[in-house]
Amino acid sequence: MSSIAAQVAERFAAARTDAGLLKAGLYVEEVAALAYDAAADGPLTGEDRAQALRFAGHEREHADVFETMLFALTVPVREHATEADLQELIPGLRRARREEALAQLAELEGAAIAGYQQLGRRLRALDALRSVATVMAGGAQHLVVLRSALRDEPVTRPFESGR
Amino acid sequence: MVVTAPVLGVRLTVSKYDHGIRAASRLRAGSYSRRRFLGAAGALLGGALIGGCGAEEAGKSPPTDAEVLEGLLRRERAAGAAVIGVSGSELIARQDALHARRLASLAGADVGRGSTEAVELPEALVRKQQAVFAYVEAVPRLADPDLRVFVMQLAASEAEHLAALRLAAGQEPVPDAFAGFTERSVP
Repeated sequence: MSSIAAQVAERFAAARTDAGLLKAGLYVEEVAALAYDAAADGPLTGEDRAQALRFAGHEREHADVFETMLFALTVPVREHATEADLQELIPGLRRARREEALAQLAELEGAAIAGYQQLGRRLRALDALRSVATVMAGGAQHLVVLRSALRDEPVTRPFESGR
Repeated sequence: MVVTAPVLGVRLTVSKYDHGIRAASRLRAGSYSRRRFLGAAGALLGGALIGGCGAEEAGKSPPTDAEVLEGLLRRERAAGAAVIGVSGSELIARQDALHARRLASLAGADVGRGSTEAVELPEALVRKQQAVFAYVEAVPRLADPDLRVFVMQLAASEAEHLAALRLAAGQEPVPDAFAGFTERSVP
């Protein structure tokens, strides 16, 4: 398991409660928004860049959902992911080559999908899984675009596990 | 083409817990609206669970996992039709056949025959979108955690199919953040 996927998996694995699992999701979505913004500021240009900016917006919407779910559990969110978190998870993203940046974003999306499927197994508030699944499905659609940009065939998987 | 039924289905789920949603909306005013993200229903259902509002209160016994999977199999068969004039749709049809076989095996049901008639892209997108709605809706209804993960994998796969078909047809592949759970993106 590579560094990005391993670190994200560790976050989900370390969570012991519903709130912890949802906080892991919030962290991943916030870092993903920062990552797409960073890629748009650095290695991505043209249509890649425009798509990255759109996806950054999607990730912020996903993060809002996790924050709302935490609110529903009466858990206040006091910490948000920062540039330092991005640097720790994906160091050098801004200086990466196009393909490298796209591959790192794809790895992050895949790791998020795998993490959300862990929520499918472990979350006790089952009805919250519908929201988690919509976020996961949105991430899977991002993955199609990233795989297509990387010419990584096939762009769809019959049983998408994010791995 | 505008599809309203699945969206309305989610809306009904929302309205069931409208009180909690309104409270949350007030507290989160300005972030995103209920109209834009219908999937937020699930988040608030989480809150409703804490308050003791469960399916059991409706007085109905929940369906078995096999029954839920059989319902999904019917939806998968409809979504598995070949798509006319879109490159890559053969691969998607093969993946749909895999979905159907695995669902049938897990449900202990006959896989049956899928949709044999090829459909135009708009119809295919509608069917795929309905499959995504069905899989997402089914996840919390499954008691077996492994089956929940399996159905989430199918939801992700069907969402990918939607994006791949749009991409192949030269359309915006990801028009919303929630794989169609935003009103404006419904095909």
